[in-house]
Amino acid sequence: MTPRHGAIAAALALAAALPYLQILPAWTTALATVTAFMALSLIGLNLIFGVGGMLALGQAAFVALPGYAAGLLIKFGVPTMLAIPAGVVAAIAIARLVAEIFVRLPGIYFAIGTLGFAFVVEGLARAFPAYTGGASGLVLDPPVSLGRDGWYALGVASLAAGILAFAFLVRGRFLRSLRLMRHDELAAQVLGIDVPRLKARVFTIGSAYSAVGGILLAYFVRVLAPESGGVNASLESLAMVIIGGSGSLFGPVLGAAGVQWLFAVSGGAAHYELLVYGLGFFLVVLFAPAGMAGAIRRAWSAATRSRPGEAAPAADSASQAAAGPGAELPARQRQGSGVCLEVERVAKHFGGLRAVDDVSFEVRFGQIVALIGPNGAGKSTLFNLVSGIEPLSGGRVRLAGRDIGDAPIHVRANDIGRSFQVPRLVGDMTTLDNVVLRFDHLSDRATEDEHRRRARAQLAAFGLAEFADRPVREIGIGYHKLIELARASAGDAPLLLLDEPAVGLTAEEVARLAAALQRLKSLGTAILVVEHNMDFVATIADEVVVMEGGRLIARGAPASVMADPGVQAAYFGALS
Amino acid sequence: MNLFTQSVISGLMTGAVYTFLGIGLVLVYRTARILNLAHGETFAITGVAAALLAGAGLPLGAALGLAILISLAFATGLHRFVLRPRAEWPAGTLILITLGAAFVVRGVLILLAGTDPLSFPVMFEGPPVRFAGGAMPLQGIALVVLGFGVSAGVGIFLAATRAGKQLLAAAENPYAAELLGVNVERARITAYAIGGLLGALAGVLLIPLIAVDFQSGLAMTLRGFIAAAISGMSPVGVLFSGLGLGLFEAMVGAYLGALYQDPVMFCVLILVALWQSRNIRFGGSRRA
Repeated sequence: MTPRHGAIAAALALAAALPYLQILPAWTTALATVTAFMALSLIGLNLIFGVGGMLALGQAAFVALPGYAAGLLIKFGVPTMLAIPAGVVAAIAIARLVAEIFVRLPGIYFAIGTLGFAFVVEGLARAFPAYTGGASGLVLDPPVSLGRDGWYALGVASLAAGILAFAFLVRGRFLRSLRLMRHDELAAQVLGIDVPRLKARVFTIGSAYSAVGGILLAYFVRVLAPESGGVNASLESLAMVIIGGSGSLFGPVLGAAGVQWLFAVSGGAAHYELLVYGLGFFLVVLFAPAGMAGAIRRAWSAATRSRPGEAAPAADSASQAAAGPGAELPARQRQGSGVCLEVERVAKHFGGLRAVDDVSFEVRFGQIVALIGPNGAGKSTLFNLVSGIEPLSGGRVRLAGRDIGDAPIHVRANDIGRSFQVPRLVGDMTTLDNVVLRFDHLSDRATEDEHRRRARAQLAAFGLAEFADRPVREIGIGYHKLIELARASAGDAPLLLLDEPAVGLTAEEVARLAAALQRLKSLGTAILVVEHNMDFVATIADEVVVMEGGRLIARGAPASVMADPGVQAAYFGALS
Repeated sequence: MNLFTQSVISGLMTGAVYTFLGIGLVLVYRTARILNLAHGETFAITGVAAALLAGAGLPLGAALGLAILISLAFATGLHRFVLRPRAEWPAGTLILITLGAAFVVRGVLILLAGTDPLSFPVMFEGPPVRFAGGAMPLQGIALVVLGFGVSAGVGIFLAATRAGKQLLAAAENPYAAELLGVNVERARITAYAIGGLLGALAGVLLIPLIAVDFQSGLAMTLRGFIAAAISGMSPVGVLFSGLGLGLFEAMVGAYLGALYQDPVMFCVLILVALWQSRNIRFGGSRRA
């Protein structure tokens, strides 16, 4: 156990005993119980919003729903012990439905959709007093009597279980995927993440926390008022998560406890309450995005910095030395032979504009094909058609004989590694984690350790081993293209799509890139490169495909294509 | 009294308000790539400020003018002093900041005005105009006429003036516009100013007929967004979608009851979302 873990354990034990120690004014058992249930429900919002980055603006609706659902069932004669879990399940099911409707659209739809849902829940609760108790609230009788200490014990136990479950769940592959999705949805899909499905899953799990915490709280205070499921309550929930430290394990607990205690000790804030929440929310977002948890973390590291011996997390060092270039890479399969990518009469029209028009060519396993042409020739659109970012207007795309024209991006990702003109890496994550993400979503089921080992070997093969444990944003931009190439080719996808990999690189970096591509080619990978650097193209390409105005105008060996007068007119004419 | 005529009348009035609000949301979304969740607060701020100022004895005209200025200052100040210095932050965080601003406004309004609905006298006094079994207050006529007039004015501004054309260009593609020498920053501040002004006008004209409270803002943002989303975030289309939405809501209120308005509007939002998702067959979410 590290000193940090020891400190956390001691702080938690102290926090749990706090109501009985009577050293903190106004921190009664009842307040602590309310706070515990509230924090439990906020863990869900922290997962959805704090970790997943989804703007769930109406989360209080899912805190109040299970209570109302249970109350409704009890009205119809269902026994309480059955109605409570049924209410929770109903709330989770509705959350799933809401998520499914809005996750495919840009995030603002999700924000407005969840906000609108809070209006609906509060409105309905007021509109049908016969079923919901109306404005004065729904009275709930706990099925068992627990007593003051019993409720507090339940609060502490359920919160502890909730935090443990969160810590167990939100790590490794799941956490990496969420961070990438939050940072860059397109990159997430190109690496094989089914983004809408992941979002729906996160929202469902988070809403399960909201529902469980919500129903416990409702039965503890014995009454459920319409405003507890409404917009103001939702905003207050967000405020507590943000103030506590969104995305951090203890953020919800700190936020709930801090805010609740503040109001209790100041003795009924009445009309000031909303402004305090609002200002807390606003100022923390603007000036201290890490919240209370971040402040504590900073204070802790300031206090322990002078202490020697506590090094940065040691890398899984076993494989550190393992790999020279090309060592032990092909974990998946030796690539096949013959045609890998077959583009047949492919077209893409945007309205009247024919961005890609009747283009056919192929890339064989172990072949590097360069796609060149002036700006606006349709090269990037063609890449997007192959990787599935744009739907085809006509023609076929086949991969190793299979028609993939209808497959979504994340499904094609299993067979296609792709890099972008501007690398799409997650700056806050280590180079290693960026590459592990690629292994995470390939369809083999190796362990986390195995993926980390392979990712490290992959980085070593590209001469990037020294950067493995550093956050990407600390590494020079010149290396980002190479890191992205290492990520795209990780796991030996049969086809690589590289968008201007040599742009902005120094001569030395270009040489390193060329060597890396030759090595991948020798492993049998089919590589399609969009590139403007003609010297680079002449060095590496086995075949050149020239596009102009959406059409293919020439195809063949580099030397003969570049000598073609038509190509020179189109290409160099456009350049001059 | 004819229920249908009456709901058409009230639908025209709320429709004019949704149009007012929708235009501001669309212009800001298109120029600054932000969904301004504090947009509806311009409506609430104007209403509460006008009611308090008029209640304190200020002449109505002065109270309204001052209230409109406050709203304008809020909308442009939010952009100039809070959002613009953070233009490089992720869009999600900027949206969150606008939500925080809306939240602070709520907190301030509840302190100033309490939880009870407020109102202030109408600008246009006189007996309501009666026709076809319905009655329309003069203020309502002013609201509808101004709603169409100002919307048309915004349309002409966008299509015929240099600043308007720059704004549209910036809305179409901010980066390309910047390259072509369009002052994107000025387009953005203009968008926020138009939004603040129209939100304030909506408040000035509608609130004497329905009252306002501290939490009216987000409800207005929500309605404005639904109108904007139906139009596909088009600054011209929102004129029609806002009107249609107002009429539809009034009909729901008249024939089903006011209690059903929120749930039915949510269903409209769901339908819009499903309609917008129809092209996304690639299992991917659309790039925002």
